[in-house]
Amino acid sequence: MSAPPPVIELRGIEKKYLSGRFAVEALRGIDLRVDGGELVAIMGPSGSGKTTLMEILGCLLQPTGGKYLFKGQPIESIPPDGLARLRGEEIGFVFQSFNLLPRLSAAENVELPLTYRSVARRERRERAARALERVGLAARARHRPAELSGGERQRVAIARALVNTPSLILADEPTGNLDTQTGESVLELLFSLVRDGATVVMVTHDPRIGERAERLVTIRDGLIDGDGATGAAAPRRGAP
Amino acid sequence: MRLREAVREALRTLRVSWLRTVLTLFGIVWGTASVIFLLAWGIGVRDMIEGAYLRVGRNLVQVFAGQVGEDFTPAADRRTLWFTLDDVDVVRQRSRYASLVLPESHFFREVSYRQTATTLNVRGVTPEHVSLRGVRVAAGRPIRGDDLSHRRRVAVLGAEARRRLLGAHGGIGSIIRIGGQSFTVVGLLDDVGMQLWQDGPTRLDEQVWIPLTTLFLFGPRYGRDAEVVDNILLGLRDRRLRHEAEREVRAILAERLRVSLTDEEAIRTASPLASLEKLPLDQIDDLLFTLGVTTLAIGGVGILTMMLDAVQERRQEIGVRLAVGARRRDVLIQFFLETFVIAGAGGLLGAALGLAGCAALAAVAHGDLIPVPVVRWEIVAVALSVMSAVGFLSGLFPAWRASRVDPSVTLRAE
Repeated sequence: MSAPPPVIELRGIEKKYLSGRFAVEALRGIDLRVDGGELVAIMGPSGSGKTTLMEILGCLLQPTGGKYLFKGQPIESIPPDGLARLRGEEIGFVFQSFNLLPRLSAAENVELPLTYRSVARRERRERAARALERVGLAARARHRPAELSGGERQRVAIARALVNTPSLILADEPTGNLDTQTGESVLELLFSLVRDGATVVMVTHDPRIGERAERLVTIRDGLIDGDGATGAAAPRRGAP
Repeated sequence: MRLREAVREALRTLRVSWLRTVLTLFGIVWGTASVIFLLAWGIGVRDMIEGAYLRVGRNLVQVFAGQVGEDFTPAADRRTLWFTLDDVDVVRQRSRYASLVLPESHFFREVSYRQTATTLNVRGVTPEHVSLRGVRVAAGRPIRGDDLSHRRRVAVLGAEARRRLLGAHGGIGSIIRIGGQSFTVVGLLDDVGMQLWQDGPTRLDEQVWIPLTTLFLFGPRYGRDAEVVDNILLGLRDRRLRHEAEREVRAILAERLRVSLTDEEAIRTASPLASLEKLPLDQIDDLLFTLGVTTLAIGGVGILTMMLDAVQERRQEIGVRLAVGARRRDVLIQFFLETFVIAGAGGLLGAALGLAGCAALAAVAHGDLIPVPVVRWEIVAVALSVMSAVGFLSGLFPAWRASRVDPSVTLRAE
């Protein structure tokens, strides 16, 4: 029996776009492989292309060059509806600013990915309740985001990312809007998801967080600058 | 996303932003109500005007004789023409378009009752006059066939003639004098009301009806024979065939009177239907419809603006939905349904308001003076169809815009 394909495999990914009259090269040939169960931190200065990379990983953005295989399947061969399904079923997003829908309760926010998968209402409720319980917010299920603290909102966002038991959780600065203590508890939650078998790719500014990940990928000017086990983020092979 | 889910989602969003929903609803409610009210009122206006024109007799064509036209004979010899009962019989036998062909003659005479004397229009009629004129006998009986065969001196009074002559007293059985001869009042006509068209100098309410044959006993008038028929009244089978009916009766009578078929001064016709055709009733209908639909369209523009705003405001939400697995189609359906739910709710409320407005006006209006709105199911159907079209069109563009939102941009903007 052959080993399962990596969750993410990027080969020479490029992304160019027009900013006014100027062409910007956000990514200039990224190679990256993430296996199931890994916790990968991506670090880099502002404008290095890490958010663009996350958006491509989340299939929110199409690369302009290179090849992206998700669990062995080339992304460019998947039609738009298929990509929507992939986002709904295989990928969970955690954003820096939570991106919860203010008019929905915590439970309804968590249910949201399930509504687009035609999951029956009762099952949606049960799964949302389990996800909220997993992040320690069972008691706050009926609260609206405005009635929750920052840490609680991010936990709801993590529950939303979890509810479909995705193959990949993408977290973009998940602690960026939180104080140190709250951020710590959110991080701890993400780490515990990895211990339970989830694959997490996390963009962060904070070197202390990066060091705590198993693997740290640094990115600079649209290229991978370093990729290795934490504490020893070795220069990428072949890099100048 | 299932359709039911989408509707539920739409309702929830509308409930949450209820103030905006209500304000937007107002436009569509008012628009739909306007369409219903204006169209119903338009029918009321038409009914009122048609009613006032046709009170002289439904589908009536009046034929009367004049003189041989100047183009057909020297001015000095212009022959004065008149009809006889034989002419009426021939028309009755040959006309294919008239279901009723009646003779009528009339004059003005002093009519008195006790101390009251007044000059009234006295008409010699036949039993079918009641049906041709469409007037009800309020008390007593109409002129009957045996009144004509016995040349009885009996009279039926119009409502106004009765008021002027008999006052508060007297009714059936009263003896009145017409041109010095005694007549017994055997019937009273119902109040006919406002007439916008008359086939003579007086309204039906002002007339005194007596048997035609009795009128002939008053002797020759204007140097003609005694038994002169002033008017031949046709009751058409179908009002749309008025021109054919007029051509036909003109041909029959031209032959009888030995005048040219093209002599328009010799045989003349008149009809309230012809006058009605000249009125811009269709244009009034069109105007009211345009006004109503424009109001509704403005309501639609209100929805359009609100939904475009909503899309702009909810770009982040749309981005999140796309990120968690919504297809562009799901977003399109969601926003379209939100619009359609508003338009639908507004349409139903507006229909109720429009119908209530019609009922309210109908309760206070008097058919002669203020048009009474006439509600037909077609009107409601038209209003709801127009409303649906407006809702559909104003929903489509914002929904399309929503479905084009780029999640990578909106999520990053946060």
